[in-house]
Amino acid sequence: MAEECAASTRFARERRTIAWAWIALLLLMLTSLGSAYAKLGPWNMVAGLVIAGIKAGIVAWLFMRLREAGVLIRLAAVAGLGAWCILLVLSGVDYATRTLTPTDVQRPQQLPPAHGAASQPR
Amino acid sequence: MSSATLAHPSVDEKQEPGTGKLGMWVFLASELLFFGGLFVAYLYGRTHFPGGWAEASRRTDVLLGTVNTAVLLTSSAAVALAVACEEDAQARRWTARLLSLTAALGIVFLLLKCLEWHDEWREHLVPGPDFALHAAGAQQFFALYFLMTGLHGVHMICGIAALGLLARGRSRGRAWAGARELEVAALYWHFVDAVWIFLYPLLYLVDRHG
Amino acid sequence: MTTDALPASYLEDGMSLRSWLTTTDHKRIAILYALSITAFFFVGGAAATIIRMELATPAGDLVSNDAYNKLFTAHGVIMVWLFLIPSIPSVLGNFLLPLMLGARDLAFPRLNLLSWYLYLAGGLITLEALLLGGVDTGWTFYTPYSTMFSNTYVVLTLVGVFVTGFSSILTGLNFIVTIHTLRAPAMGWFKLPLFAWAMYATSLILVLATPVLAITTLLVAAERLFQIGIFDPAYGGDPLLFQHLFWFYSHPAVYIMVLPAMGVVSEIIPCFARRPVFGYDTMAYAILAIASVGFLVWGHHMFVSGQSLAASMTFSLLSFLVAIPSAIKVFNWTATLYKGSIRFDAPMLYALGFVGLFTIGGLTGLFLASLSLDVHLTDTYFVVAHFHYIMVGGSVMAYFGGLHFWWPKATGRMYPEVWARIAAVLVFIGFNLTFFPQFILGVEGMPRRYHAYPPQFQVLNLFSSTGAGVLAIGYLMPLVYFAWSMGRGKAAGDNPFGAQGLEWQARSPPPTHNFDAPPVVPARVYDYQADEPLPEAAP
Repeated sequence: MAEECAASTRFARERRTIAWAWIALLLLMLTSLGSAYAKLGPWNMVAGLVIAGIKAGIVAWLFMRLREAGVLIRLAAVAGLGAWCILLVLSGVDYATRTLTPTDVQRPQQLPPAHGAASQPR
Repeated sequence: MSSATLAHPSVDEKQEPGTGKLGMWVFLASELLFFGGLFVAYLYGRTHFPGGWAEASRRTDVLLGTVNTAVLLTSSAAVALAVACEEDAQARRWTARLLSLTAALGIVFLLLKCLEWHDEWREHLVPGPDFALHAAGAQQFFALYFLMTGLHGVHMICGIAALGLLARGRSRGRAWAGARELEVAALYWHFVDAVWIFLYPLLYLVDRHG
Repeated sequence: MTTDALPASYLEDGMSLRSWLTTTDHKRIAILYALSITAFFFVGGAAATIIRMELATPAGDLVSNDAYNKLFTAHGVIMVWLFLIPSIPSVLGNFLLPLMLGARDLAFPRLNLLSWYLYLAGGLITLEALLLGGVDTGWTFYTPYSTMFSNTYVVLTLVGVFVTGFSSILTGLNFIVTIHTLRAPAMGWFKLPLFAWAMYATSLILVLATPVLAITTLLVAAERLFQIGIFDPAYGGDPLLFQHLFWFYSHPAVYIMVLPAMGVVSEIIPCFARRPVFGYDTMAYAILAIASVGFLVWGHHMFVSGQSLAASMTFSLLSFLVAIPSAIKVFNWTATLYKGSIRFDAPMLYALGFVGLFTIGGLTGLFLASLSLDVHLTDTYFVVAHFHYIMVGGSVMAYFGGLHFWWPKATGRMYPEVWARIAAVLVFIGFNLTFFPQFILGVEGMPRRYHAYPPQFQVLNLFSSTGAGVLAIGYLMPLVYFAWSMGRGKAAGDNPFGAQGLEWQARSPPPTHNFDAPPVVPARVYDYQADEPLPEAAP
C-alpha cells in the first residue's frame, strides 16, 4: 500500500515535471519568435540559438531523462555533440582565416558539337 | 542450452535492462552527426550570404512554422507522459492512447509541412530555373531548407510508424510493446523534436525585422 | 540429443541456404561477410591488375583516359568501402568479439544480420553502377567535377556508398553496446584482449564519422541532380566545404581500417613470441588516443586545396601528434618480442610484416604531414605508396594474419602451414616490389591518376607491375589452400597455437551458443610464458 502511494506520488511528480517542461518549452518558443522581430543585429542568431539550446536541454534533461541516466549514456550524448563541435570548429578555423579574392567565374569552353544541337554538361 | 551454465544472461532471454537504451543513445549520437553535416553547410551559407539568407528566411511561413513547433513540442510532452504512465500501475491504461496522440500530432505536423511546401512550390521558392529570389545565397538557403526539413520529415515518418505500431501493440497487450521498447521509441521521438527545435530559429527566424 | 554427444557446431546447425540467410548467429554472419568481401576484393583486385598492366608502359595504350579514370575509381571505391572497412570488424570482429568476451552473441543479433544485408545491398548497387559504365571521379568524388562535369554514374555509386555506410554504423553500434554490457563478469576493461579494445575504438569512429559521409553523399547527389549551388563557386558555394565534410569521415576511416589490424597483431605477436604484450595499459590508451586524435587531422588532405594557411598549420601539427600513439604501439610490439621464444608460423609472418610495413607507411605519413614537403609530394605516387603501405602492407596483411590465426577456431581445420608461409613471403616480397618503387616515383614527380607517363619513369613502373603479379599469386594461394583445408585439412584441436583468450576455450568450431561450459577468465590477460613451448610443433 505504501509502495502504491509512493509510486503514485512519483507519477504525480513526473506528470508535473512534464507539464511544467511543456509550458516552459512553449514560452521559450514564443520568446524566440518575439526576439526575431527585435532589431538585435548579430545577436538575433545568438538569441535564437541560445533559446534553442535551452529548449533542447529541457527535452534532453527532462524528457529524455538524462537527469537520471548513468555516466555511460551521458557520455554517448556528449560524444556525439563533441564530434560535431570538432567538425564545426576545425573547419571554422579554415573559414575564419581564409582570404577570398573575388574573381570572374570562367565557365569551361564548350567544344563545338560534331553534329546537331549542343548539350549542356550536367 | 540452459543459461545457468553461462556466466551471465545470454541474449536469448530478456536483454540486460538498459541495453536497448544504450543502443538508442549511441544511434542518436550518429544521427546528431548525420544532421550535423547539414547544419555545418547551413552555417557556411549563413556566414557567407547574410543578405540572401535573411531575404529567403523572410519568405518562409513563420505562422505555420511556429504552429508546427508547438505541435511537435506537445507531441514530445505526450510521449514523455506515455512513458511515465507506463511505469505507473494505475495510469498504464492511458499509455496506448497517449502514444496514439503523439503519432497523431506527428501526422498533423507532416500535413502542415506539406501545406507549407505546396505554398512554397507555388511561390517559386523551390530551387530551380524559375526560382523567385535573386539575392546571392537565397537559392542555397531554400535548397538547405528543403533538404533539412525533408530529412527531418523522413525521420518523423519512421517515428510515427514506430509509435503507431507500439500504440496498437500496447492496446492489444503484445509482449514486444513493453516499457523498454516504448522508452527507446520515445528517445528517438525526442531527438527528432530536438532537431526541429534548432531548425525552427535557423530556418524561420533569421531576420524577421528587416 | 543424448547427454553424451555435444551440440553440433555452428557450421552444422542448419544446413539449408535459408538457415544461413536468416541466421542471427554472429559466427555465421561473419562467414557471410567473409564470402562477400572476398568476392569484392577480387573485383577491386582485377581493376588494380588492369591498372598495373597499363602502367607497365609509358604510353596510354591499354585503356583510354576515361576507362583508366573509371578503373582507379572502381579500385578505390571497392577496396575502401566494400573490402577494407568491413574486413576485420565485420569478419573477425563479428566472429570473435562475443567469444572473446565470454558472451553468447552480440547485443543485437538481428541488427547484425540487417548490417550484412545493408552491406550486400550497397555493394550490389555499387557493382551495378560499375557494370552500367562506372564512375570517373576518383573514390574521393571531389567537387566541382563530381557535381557538375562528370558524365558518369556518380549518384548511383553514392547511393551504394550511402547504404553501405549504414551497415557500418549499425555494426559499430552493436559492438559498443556488446562490449559495455555483455562482458563476462570477471572481465574488467583492463582484462579485455587488445583486439576488443581495437574493436571498441573502431566502433566509436564508425558511429561518429560515417554519418557525416552519409550526409555528404546526399549533398553531392542533391547538387548534381538539382544544382543547389552549395559547392559551386559561381553561386558562391565552396568546393572545399565538400572536402571538409568528406575528409572529416575519410580520415578517421583510415583508422577504421588500421585499428582493427593493430588489434589482430596484438593478439598474434604475444602468442608466437610466448610473451605477454609489453605495456598493455599503454597499448589500450594508445588505441583510444589514435581514435580520438584521428578526428582532428583531416585537413592534411587539403594542404594545397586552397585551405587557409592557419588551418593547414593547425592540421599539420595535429597530424604529427597522431603519429605518437601509433609509434608507441610499434615500440611495444617490438619490445614484446624481446626475450621471447619466437615461432615464425604464418600468422606471425603476417603480423611481423605488418609491424615493419606499417612503420614505413607511418613514417612516410610524416613527410606528407609537413606542409612544405606536401606541396611537392601531394598528388604524386608518394601518396599512393604511403597509403598502400598502411592499408595493404598494414591492414590487409593483418587481416590475412588474423584469418590464418583463427582459421582453426572457425573451421576446426588446420591450413597447410608450409603453403601458408610461402604465400606470406610472396605477399611480403610482392608488396614491397610493387609499392616501394612508387615512393621514388613520387619524389621524382610522377603524378597519380595518370595512365600515361614520361619514359624516364618506366623502369620503376615495371618493377611495380611485376611486383603486383607476385602479390596477386600470394593473394590467390590462400583461396586454394583454405578451400582445400575445409575438405582435407588436419583436424585442429581447440587451441592448436596454445593461445590465451576466451575464444580458445570454445570448441573448434564452436557450437552456436559458443561455450559448452562457462569460460574461465584468466587472472592476467596475455599470460604467456616464454619458457613454455607451444603444445605442438608446426608441421
